[in-house]
Amino acid sequence: MIHLAMATGFLLILIGFYGAVSNRNILRMIVAFTIADSGVNLVIVAIGYMPGRTAPILDATVKAGYAAARIIDPVPQALVLTAIVIGVGVTALMLAYAYKLYEKKRSLDIAKFTELRG
Amino acid sequence: MLSPLYLVAAALAASFTLGLLNPKRSGAAYAITLVTLAFMAWVPAGWLWGFMAEGAQPVEIYTAGALPPYAINLRMGLAEAAMTLLITLTGLLSALYLKESLIKLGHRGMAVLMVALMAFCGIVLTRDLFNLFVFFELAAISTAGLILLSEDERALSAGFKYLIVSQLVSTFLLIGILFAYHASGTLNLDTMASARLPHGSAPSFALAFFLMFIALVTELKPFPANGWALDIYESAHPAYSALFSAAAATASLYAVDKLLLVGGPGWYPMATGIGITTFLAANLFALPQGNDRRLLGYSSLAQIGLILVVLGQRDLLGEGTPFIAFGLLVSHAVAKAGLYWLSGLVGGRSLTDWAALRGRPLLVFAFISFVAMLTSLPPFPGFYAKWELVRVLAGEGRLALLALILIGALVEAGYLFRWFGYMLKREAPAEAVNGEPHQVVPVYVAVLAGWVLGYFWGELSGVGLGHHNLLLSLPLAFALGFLLLDWLPAWVKNTLAITGMVAFFFLTYAEYDPLRLIFALIFLIGGAITLLASYDAHGRRIGFYPAAMLMYAGMVMLVRANDSFEFFAAWELLTLGSYFLILRGKHSEPHALSYILFSLGGAFLILAGFALAAGGAAQFPITALGQVAPAVAPWVFLLLATGFMTKTAAIGLHIWLPGAHAEAETDVSPMVSGILLKAGLFGLFVLLMAMGKQRLYGVELTHVLLWVAAFTALLGNLMAVFQEDAKRLLAYSSIGQMGYALFGLALMNHLGWLMALMFVINHYIYKSMLFLSVGGVAKRTGTREMYRMGGLIRLMPLSFIAVLIGIIAISGVPPLSGFGGRWIFYNAILASDYRLPMVILFLAGPVAFLYLFRLIHSIFLGQLKDELRRVKEAPFWIALPQMLYVGLLLAFALAPGLALRRVDTYLNLFFPEGGLHWEGFEITSDYGYWNPVAIMIVVAVIFVSLFAWLLFVNRRAQKVKQFNIVFSAERPFRPETTHFAWNFFAPYRKALGFLVQPYATTFWGALTDFLHTAGDLARRLYDGNGQSYALHFLAFVVIVFGVGV
Repeated sequence: MIHLAMATGFLLILIGFYGAVSNRNILRMIVAFTIADSGVNLVIVAIGYMPGRTAPILDATVKAGYAAARIIDPVPQALVLTAIVIGVGVTALMLAYAYKLYEKKRSLDIAKFTELRG
Repeated sequence: MLSPLYLVAAALAASFTLGLLNPKRSGAAYAITLVTLAFMAWVPAGWLWGFMAEGAQPVEIYTAGALPPYAINLRMGLAEAAMTLLITLTGLLSALYLKESLIKLGHRGMAVLMVALMAFCGIVLTRDLFNLFVFFELAAISTAGLILLSEDERALSAGFKYLIVSQLVSTFLLIGILFAYHASGTLNLDTMASARLPHGSAPSFALAFFLMFIALVTELKPFPANGWALDIYESAHPAYSALFSAAAATASLYAVDKLLLVGGPGWYPMATGIGITTFLAANLFALPQGNDRRLLGYSSLAQIGLILVVLGQRDLLGEGTPFIAFGLLVSHAVAKAGLYWLSGLVGGRSLTDWAALRGRPLLVFAFISFVAMLTSLPPFPGFYAKWELVRVLAGEGRLALLALILIGALVEAGYLFRWFGYMLKREAPAEAVNGEPHQVVPVYVAVLAGWVLGYFWGELSGVGLGHHNLLLSLPLAFALGFLLLDWLPAWVKNTLAITGMVAFFFLTYAEYDPLRLIFALIFLIGGAITLLASYDAHGRRIGFYPAAMLMYAGMVMLVRANDSFEFFAAWELLTLGSYFLILRGKHSEPHALSYILFSLGGAFLILAGFALAAGGAAQFPITALGQVAPAVAPWVFLLLATGFMTKTAAIGLHIWLPGAHAEAETDVSPMVSGILLKAGLFGLFVLLMAMGKQRLYGVELTHVLLWVAAFTALLGNLMAVFQEDAKRLLAYSSIGQMGYALFGLALMNHLGWLMALMFVINHYIYKSMLFLSVGGVAKRTGTREMYRMGGLIRLMPLSFIAVLIGIIAISGVPPLSGFGGRWIFYNAILASDYRLPMVILFLAGPVAFLYLFRLIHSIFLGQLKDELRRVKEAPFWIALPQMLYVGLLLAFALAPGLALRRVDTYLNLFFPEGGLHWEGFEITSDYGYWNPVAIMIVVAVIFVSLFAWLLFVNRRAQKVKQFNIVFSAERPFRPETTHFAWNFFAPYRKALGFLVQPYATTFWGALTDFLHTAGDLARRLYDGNGQSYALHFLAFVVIVFGVGV
């Protein structure tokens, strides 16, 4: 199960990277990056998963005293939240860029924005 | 001391406050921003003061009420305080610079700026990996936001390319961090370094570390994954570029450094490899670059690469790493921020457009200070850092890396000094510099900071390594003082300079040994006499005196240097000063560039030689050169000798000299020829005194020098013969003369050295004199082409006398001092047994007659040209020193013992055999005697009789007009070709011309062309497409992984 999740995560990352470098349309590139982001998040969660344990929520079934032995690692789960938030921020910024770039040249082809080079 | 958390809190609070403010009140928002940024700079400033002056200890700042690794902690130590201060100050000054643009953008732009600075500070302060990731993402988002706000439309695409790469980077970083956490059980940098990895997880930790490392290193813009950064540097507002180059790079470097401490020495080679590749590639690509901001971008990449190399050499540098890394970092940050701010004042984007700055001497001073900082010249921090880095690398035998660093540094100096030449010499664009106070102030602050840091680094190097603080040495301080006095009229400054030099000589003359005394005399008193000619200049002569005095200061410090550090610092100072002097000539831009490049190349050889000799020791007295281990001694000799020979223009390394000496101003030519060349000879004296004969693979190196010297003398003289330009003729003649002096040294016997010293004195006197007379003639006639002159003997009698005396002295015929040189030379030859190079040197003698005859014949004899009938004698102040030199030459000819006797005794220390015997006017050697006074009388009698006879015989001679021997009915296309003085020695050229083909010039030209072409081809890698840049990054990862693992 954990390997499947992790493999899926890495697959998503690769798909995302491939999409980002093979699509010339800026919007498609942004979508590809969000796919890669999802893959990253999946990998993170998979890293924190430990077989046979429960969610890291302390309640009646999981007493605080035994928690260390019964719950999975909560740190990656906490971190993935932050990662998601940051991912949203970056995606929003990229979309803003896409909008401005389209305004400038009426095109979303990344290969048309190469006036800076060398 | 305020908690470092205020750095984060203040930025966030102010940003949110701005959001609440009425958007129309931009002025108020701007005020809040400035106050906040000033506060943010105040916090680390207080800490830095605490650490430096009050002995405070580093502190950990815990958050969330728990200790690490359960919560994030920040650290404030000396390094953090220095870096956050650098970041926040750059931010504050950039904000000041951006006044109009920020007020126009409104509060959003200001908020983004503050968040960016907060993120950079956070990267420096945090000790938590995930927190590091968060700050990096914040930095990326705010950076992209800032770029989005730039006015240049092209910045849009640059920002997007940056986001593409930063997406890839953050993916690697995040996954790396999480796997590292998985393997080590912690996110805290300090505990991760010491965490005991569970059995079997070491390889997976290594892989995780690789992912993190490669991601953070990419933030340093390594080759080839750096096209995106160049596009930003080129298109963003220069104030933002200043931020990226100075502040963002600082933060990223420290992040990599922290990570490297976790990874340990196993990862150092990878950092070194990436760093040096980037350093070399970026400098190479910068060569053909024409856009100023992109050029600065390339230079930034290179500098950061170099610092990465330093971090990668931590295993060798140890405790000294911060001294070097910070030295390079502050030099880079201050200079680059300053240059980017300057670029905002210049209207055009081409390098030559910077000529607009020329009208503002203070800005020119700022520019050259920045260039000197980037090229690690004294007295800036980079100089101390360079010295230390080279010392350790050579001491530990990492010579290949050392060579690569020096090559890259030379290329960088090439494009930076070329740019400086453009600024001073190219036609200024119509659009003048529009410097508003708020834009100029940051530049001045940067300049001031650079000099203060230079002083500070000097102090540090004094504490740690026992070196003298260069800025505290009297000669340099005296020279720099002229920067403050530059508003005075030239004659006042000239008087001050002469007084200072003479006074310094009389204060110190008791401290020199006889040999050094001769050099000190030439540098100080000789320099003062030459300066008399400078009274001829009018107005303020901005920039002349600081440059000239810098050169003299360097030469004096060279004579007074005790250890290799002082010697090398003096060497670079005199090089820099003379470069500025040479650059002042009207057409000297390309020649000054080739001069500084050859000189810096030579200086690097000297640096490497000293470092190799020291074998890692911090202090290395010059005299210890004699005790260098036999295994490296010949290599040290080779490096040092080649370095010194670039200054004396030995054949093959001579191509800079003719242009540099000929194109210099009238009173500068004698300084750089008569005086400066002696610095190289002094170096050779010192070297040979300490090291003596050395053998490399069975070849005796002094023997090689002998051959080089013989060919230098012959070819230098031969090239002088075929010149049309009188000053060029003199310049080539100097090459030949230096060949003679080198030959004497390389003979390695008593008389050989005495002869070399005789040449040192003679060449100073007659070459200074000749350059002044020819310069005076050129000034009056408006040309330096000899065939355009002629018959000036009646109009310029004083100049004629000077030239006549000068050529008699040079040619070595009796009765003047040149003969004394020859006489000692013949004795020295008899005492040694190298026959073949001697034959070549003998051949050079008659060749000298040819060009000397031409000099006096074409200029002063023959018929006067129509257009020159009203020419007057040279100006008083140019003629006066010439007459002094005539007196000196006669005095030295009559009584050479005044100068040489004590040295002769002194040389007995090195060569007890073969000295001279001095008695009254008579000098006796093992082979014969020489009585200067008797010779003088004999020659005078013969001359007067012959002259009277000639006058009698020629009383009815018929005079011929010049041009009518060829013109019959038509005027030829180039009339000068029919003039008898044009191509005067055509038959000789036919016979010997093959010897003076410009092989050396062709070789060096081809080398620079090759570098340019290679750089120009390779930089096409950066095709401007964001997807290519993404692929570059992926390729970079794969390559580093492949090579590293």
